[in-house]
Amino acid sequence: MTAIDAAAPVSGVRPQEPTSSFRFVVGAIVMGVGAAIVGAATLGIGWLWGAATAGVVYGVLWWLGLARSPIDAGIMVIAGAVSGQWFVAVLDGRAGPVDIAETTPAALGFVVFGAAVAWALRHRLTVAAAALVTVSWAAAVALPTQYGVGLGILADLGRRELREGVLQVLGSSFFTMVPLLAVLFAGSLTVALATKRAAPASVGLAVVMSVISFNMIEFSVVELFTQASQIGDLAKEFWPPTWTWPKTIGQEPTNVIIDPFIETLQIAVVGATLGCLMALPLAFMAARPTTPDEPTYWGAKSFMNVIRTIPDLFWAIIFTAAVGFNAFAGALAMVFFSLAIMSKLLSETVDSIELGPLEAARATGSRHAQVIQYAALPQVLPNYVAYALYIFELNVRASVVIGIVGAGGIGRLLNEQRNFFQWDRVMAIVIVIFVTVILIEMVSILIRRRLV
Amino acid sequence: MIEFTNATVVYPGGLKALDDVTVTIEPGEFVVVVGLSGAGKSTMLRAVNGFVPIVGGSVKVLDQEVRGASNKDLRGLRSNIGMIFQTFNLVNRARVMNNVLMGRLAQVPRWRSTLGMWPEDDKELALQALERVDIIEKAYIRASDLSGGQQQRVGIARALAQDPKILLADEPVASLDPVTSHMVMRDLQRINRDLGITTLINLHFLDLARAYGKRLIGLRDGKLVYDGDIADVSDEVFRDIYGRAITPDDLLET
Amino acid sequence: MTDSTELWTKDDTGPVIRPDEPRWPKIIRWIAVIVIIGPLIWGLLGLEISADNLRRAPGQMWNLVQQVWPPDFSETGRTFEKILESLYVAWIATIIGATLSFPLGFLAATNIAPRSVTLPVRSLLSGIRAFPELVLAIMLIPAFGLGPFPGALAIGIHSIGTLGKLTSEVIEGVDEGPIEAIRASGGTRMQAMQFGVVPQAMPNVLAYWLYRFEINIRASAVLGVIGAGGIGDEIYSRFLFVPDRSKGFAALLVMIATVLVIDAISASVRRRIITGQPSRSMMARLMQRLFAKKRPAETSS
Ligand SMILES: Nc1ncnc2c1ncn2[C@@H]1O[C@H](COP(=O)(O)OP(=O)(O)OP(=O)(O)O)[C@@H](O)[C@H]1O
Ligand SMILES: [Mg+2]
Repeated sequence: MTAIDAAAPVSGVRPQEPTSSFRFVVGAIVMGVGAAIVGAATLGIGWLWGAATAGVVYGVLWWLGLARSPIDAGIMVIAGAVSGQWFVAVLDGRAGPVDIAETTPAALGFVVFGAAVAWALRHRLTVAAAALVTVSWAAAVALPTQYGVGLGILADLGRRELREGVLQVLGSSFFTMVPLLAVLFAGSLTVALATKRAAPASVGLAVVMSVISFNMIEFSVVELFTQASQIGDLAKEFWPPTWTWPKTIGQEPTNVIIDPFIETLQIAVVGATLGCLMALPLAFMAARPTTPDEPTYWGAKSFMNVIRTIPDLFWAIIFTAAVGFNAFAGALAMVFFSLAIMSKLLSETVDSIELGPLEAARATGSRHAQVIQYAALPQVLPNYVAYALYIFELNVRASVVIGIVGAGGIGRLLNEQRNFFQWDRVMAIVIVIFVTVILIEMVSILIRRRLV
Repeated sequence: MIEFTNATVVYPGGLKALDDVTVTIEPGEFVVVVGLSGAGKSTMLRAVNGFVPIVGGSVKVLDQEVRGASNKDLRGLRSNIGMIFQTFNLVNRARVMNNVLMGRLAQVPRWRSTLGMWPEDDKELALQALERVDIIEKAYIRASDLSGGQQQRVGIARALAQDPKILLADEPVASLDPVTSHMVMRDLQRINRDLGITTLINLHFLDLARAYGKRLIGLRDGKLVYDGDIADVSDEVFRDIYGRAITPDDLLET
Repeated sequence: MTDSTELWTKDDTGPVIRPDEPRWPKIIRWIAVIVIIGPLIWGLLGLEISADNLRRAPGQMWNLVQQVWPPDFSETGRTFEKILESLYVAWIATIIGATLSFPLGFLAATNIAPRSVTLPVRSLLSGIRAFPELVLAIMLIPAFGLGPFPGALAIGIHSIGTLGKLTSEVIEGVDEGPIEAIRASGGTRMQAMQFGVVPQAMPNVLAYWLYRFEINIRASAVLGVIGAGGIGDEIYSRFLFVPDRSKGFAALLVMIATVLVIDAISASVRRRIITGQPSRSMMARLMQRLFAKKRPAETSS
């Protein structure tokens, strides 16, 4: 026995050195590149490329120490060959419009491939983890593929074009993106599971979502700069702003901004005040310490969460549909908009108040409403006032917007002038909005600062 | 006045916190409840005003059965029972006067309490309560600006403002220093003597119990293990209640 | 106990003088009432909300309910397509906002940048915030044409304003200790940021990005109304045409459901990012249960 052995604690198991996540990341990148090659090149002899890629992936897994069995290698290579060949089959049958029946096998091929990888990983991961890898892999392949079919993108994409401009197609076509993204996502998920860290999967997911999003809405930085360079011409139409114009044709030009502007402020005031007042009972019902009973709590909470999902403009759409295109609809919309935000903020504040005073109030034999008014309300009052100011601020901004669907105020004017392409007048209105919003924010911040 | 008959309290988790307790407390008595932490002292007090689920036996307070009482009956009962808390449970942001007026909430018409338009009579009662605990000069100060002892006096005033027939005090001095503890205990004793309010107090420290109590109730694991005159309490009895001999920890001043 | 009577001062010293009830709480209460009621009345009068208007409103609401009920889900596929488009727009906008606001957030943080930098950056950020997304989109559409592109740009720009402010607040809240330690050991300014500030600020900043994504989904839904892509136009045009309202309502319901789901996921992720704890959501518990039990390693077959 050496001295070191003797000094070691009896049952001392040394902690294992944590596996470096760096290696996993490198592995994932290699996997991604490998799969990209498949995506670009499974054009001729699909099974060969598929098998080769599977071999590369297996090699990476082996290097990582995640898969050691030759049987795994066999399964993966076979799966790779099958999926590759399937993809080729899809491409070949793509002369006419592609339908789901034809692309589903392709997606299936990748599912098989994903399952094979998961299978190979099963020594390190639980069955559940392997299943999750498979499922996410499947989803990652199936969803965009089907979507691509729906948009007919696959139909336009000829095999020859792919061959001629592989690089360009790689970057932009949806078709090659499918395997690429699928593998990226599944790979990052695998890494996340292996390292028990959420970050790799999150990053993978974020990248996938970004690539899909940028492609789907054809967001192009090039276009951004081309257009930006021509902004000068457009600016001439916006500048200088015109402050007065005739209300109806033939009249003298007057300042027609002022009336709708005041109307906007009125909508904001009415909406904020009524909304904030109505939020009081709702918030206390939807907060644990002050709720009267369980059904009320869940009812109020669900109602609160649902109205919170409806944006300001949609409230305006609903109420203009009901009561017509006027400021009344706008005010109603703002009431609900304010109610949604205030009840949420306030109920969360009430959730964290001190419970002692409530119990003391209850012990005096007070009614529920009295307990709330005397023991709960004073605790949240400063917050309530601060929130109310904030909501008024939001309301001014929102009440501009709702006019665009005809709910009164300056937004309606803005929309009219926009539809007539009167950009100089639009500019004047925008300046008014801008200055108002800034002013109100400044005042609100000043008051809120004093409150705290 | 307060009659526990085989009263049993079981909390939602299934814990039996009060087990078959039978005790009768006569009007005007000053009773001290002692026991280890978790023995069920608070539970016993809170059974009196119906804050805990009584599942067996009966608790009769002011001729009103607490077990299974309706919300309305409970409110009526509670308005006659003042409660004092270890942590004072004042609304910190509110002024002392408003805290004390909370004791009148059950008595004033709803619209008045909603609008905060208190009748002069109720204000007078609240001011008198503050005078009783000698803190009238702080009436319009925010509760959070008071010291601990002063806050507990406001808590007592809030209970007094109810014009209660029973006073429940759950370790009223546990958050206070020894000198202040004695002052608050003296206040409570005074109130019991002068106004004849039946008083039920949980205490942690035995010397405080000895100094101010007349009758002592000992609880252990939810069961009643002693009920009698405090003067008769021997070390034997304490061992019964605490399961061990008295240590300096059980005394406020050693 | 003999001194207890002495301590009871009431009888000994005669009546203690009661303090006067202060006036100002009452005055403040009246001012508050006036501040609330006054503008409300001004607003109500200005909006010409007549009794007639109010009397008819419940009936009109009931009419609307009858028009939209039962919701017509026959075009849900298309609705989903549009919602997806809104999600794409929101995502891109969030990416634009996040990437551009991050450096700006540093420049606007008073503990990092000199006053001569923070001041202009801050006014730039609050200037951006003052433009509602919709107004911004109206200005951008003539330049970029109708479609999701200007919408994403508008929301993205607005996100720069809000995220920049929030990021700078997070950065101002970081513990200065590590920064000084790095500077003291000869680190450069950049290194101090990279190793002293970013790790501390990142969880909160990330959470804000996610939260902004939730908000941007709503914003991009709204932008559809002026032709900037997404679900907004679907709902708006359907509500304009009375026979179609049940379809519009169905689309609205689908949108609400989608947003609720995304909100829930995002909220639980945010909680996890900030607390570092697995969230207590049902989904998280399910996952925990799935992964908790390690099966004994099988030999390869
Ligand atoms: N709301 C509750 N839900 C479940 N169990 C409770 C609840 N309140 C108290 N208990 C349990 O009931 C038992 C008695 O509690 P109680 O508060 O009456 O003890 P106590 O004698 O007042 O103790 P202490 O001196 O610590 O205040 C304890 O075991 C406690 O954990
Ligand atoms: Mg207790």
